[in-house]
Amino acid sequence: MFETLKVFLRNKKAAVGLAIVLFYVAVAIFGPLLLQADPMQRVGRPHEAPNVDELLGTTRMGRDVFTQLIYGTRTSLAVGFFAGLVVVIIGTVLGITAGYFGGKVDEAINFATNVVLVIPQLPLLLVIAAFLGESSPLVIAMIIGVTSWAWGARITRAQTLTLRNREYILASELIGEPARRMIMVELLPNLLSIIGFNFIGSVTYTIITQATIEFLGLGNPMSISWGTMLYHAQNASAITVGAWWEVLVPALAVAGIGVGLSLLNFGVDEISNPRLRTLGTIAAAAKAQRKLDKQRLLQSQGAA
Amino acid sequence: MSFVLRRLGFYLAAFFIAATINFILPRLMPGNPIDVLFAQQNTTLPPEARAALVETFGFAAGPLHEQYFAYLRSVFSGDLGYSIRFYPQTVNQVLSYALPWTIFLAGTATLLAFAVGSILGVFAAWRRGGTFDTIVTPLSLAIQAIPPVVIALVALFGFGVALRWLPTGYAFNPGLDPAWTLQYFGSVFYHGLMPVTTLMIVFVGGYLVTMRNNMIGQLGEDHVVMGTAKGLSENRVRFNYAARNAMLPSVTALGLTIGAILGGSLVTEVVFNYPGLGQTLFIGIVSRDYPLIQGQLLIMTLATLTANLVVDLVYVLLDPRLRKV
Repeated sequence: MFETLKVFLRNKKAAVGLAIVLFYVAVAIFGPLLLQADPMQRVGRPHEAPNVDELLGTTRMGRDVFTQLIYGTRTSLAVGFFAGLVVVIIGTVLGITAGYFGGKVDEAINFATNVVLVIPQLPLLLVIAAFLGESSPLVIAMIIGVTSWAWGARITRAQTLTLRNREYILASELIGEPARRMIMVELLPNLLSIIGFNFIGSVTYTIITQATIEFLGLGNPMSISWGTMLYHAQNASAITVGAWWEVLVPALAVAGIGVGLSLLNFGVDEISNPRLRTLGTIAAAAKAQRKLDKQRLLQSQGAA
Repeated sequence: MSFVLRRLGFYLAAFFIAATINFILPRLMPGNPIDVLFAQQNTTLPPEARAALVETFGFAAGPLHEQYFAYLRSVFSGDLGYSIRFYPQTVNQVLSYALPWTIFLAGTATLLAFAVGSILGVFAAWRRGGTFDTIVTPLSLAIQAIPPVVIALVALFGFGVALRWLPTGYAFNPGLDPAWTLQYFGSVFYHGLMPVTTLMIVFVGGYLVTMRNNMIGQLGEDHVVMGTAKGLSENRVRFNYAARNAMLPSVTALGLTIGAILGGSLVTEVVFNYPGLGQTLFIGIVSRDYPLIQGQLLIMTLATLTANLVVDLVYVLLDPRLRKV
């Protein structure tokens, strides 16, 4: 476990990405506990520029932007991770089922996947959200989850198909392992990297999409998240009246987590596919490998 | 040609499903679907318009399957009903005024992003690990993860409000009349510069990375080594031998991102007050204009499917194997 982490952190992109994501998670978990403030409370005059009392200024309603940011981080991350989980579960189940069982099942799932992929996501989400009314963050997470699984299902299916023809799978089939065991024990462990990749990508996508839906006015305006902060700022014409803090703060928060997650994803991709690495990373990996080999050699000599 | 026909059939099915979603959704809501549809309506809608809407959405007819066929008939004959917010205009009229601007915005951004991204990707892969690759590849990935709304808002604040270099709204100077004049097109260009650029920036990164990664895969192939060994010029090997084959997955990626670009365009329009579908839709959402919101799903699906069909045709051009089957 520790060794895996070391391999992981050796990749600079993955390490930086992980640090950013962990920072956001820490803020989301501990921020509100430390702050103990009501994000909806009026603390000052409207549109106050950042100052000592209000670190990031106030909104048109005189609410503290910093407090809203901290509480919004919690909502947005929770939505992101929850919907990411839903996407991964649906995508993985469908992908493995299609790839493993093949035939008619595969055709049906593959067709559904392709249809969902080709229907534009945001317009579809807007229609669903419009009918549901002022959607709470949880509802938004659910609708993103159930409409965004197609990409994951597709890559999981492709990977399952290549695994399907490996000899060890054929061997286990000949022994007569039941399908349940084949999937859980033989296939799933080998799909873990794809599933992780899918999860990180889905979390990024959900956070971005949630912010977009709420920005367009389909969220619950009384909830606090980066998206509703942007919505209120847009409604108050914050940019035109020069209240840049109201817009830039949530905007940069969304951008930051997006960058962190995508660096993490790219790092993981590089680790699992060495050809994609840039030269510096290759040199670093080679050096670390030599060191590891030496250690193992010493260990085996010590043992012998 | 059977490849294209197969795709056509698939697109027809996809459109069918989008229409079906529109049919089912209002009926899934608690309460009477007609009341849901007109829930937030202001009293400005006259009874005859209401009756026409009820008919378009098939609420008037009896059992569910008859309602469904009535609805499909309206959709496939191009009748999307009246817009509640913009009454007496029909949804068709409202959308067809806005659609060209969205197509202009999303289309230009797509083509630019794809061209720029792919070319940069080829160079990043060619000198893999060089200065260019080390800086540009992670950077484009990072930018790709930033939602269009954020980039648009930051650009609007920077160039529109703080520096006052570019206009903050409208597709052209409202003082001008649309005409085939240089002044009009200049104004369209000037007003479109910021929306198109911000939308493009978001999507360049994805194409760059896709192209780079495919290209790296290609560079190890025998035919590329052979091209180099024959002593062909570097450019010929790079573009004709490696890049042409690496293009195929990129074109697939292009097809898959069209929906996302159209979605991004919706948001960009709201930020820049650009008179496309997004801006219209935003007004529709605020006033809970359900026929309009439903109509945009169909129009956007249609636009995405058409763009995908074009991508398929390009695919046939690029991959000679598809022409034979």
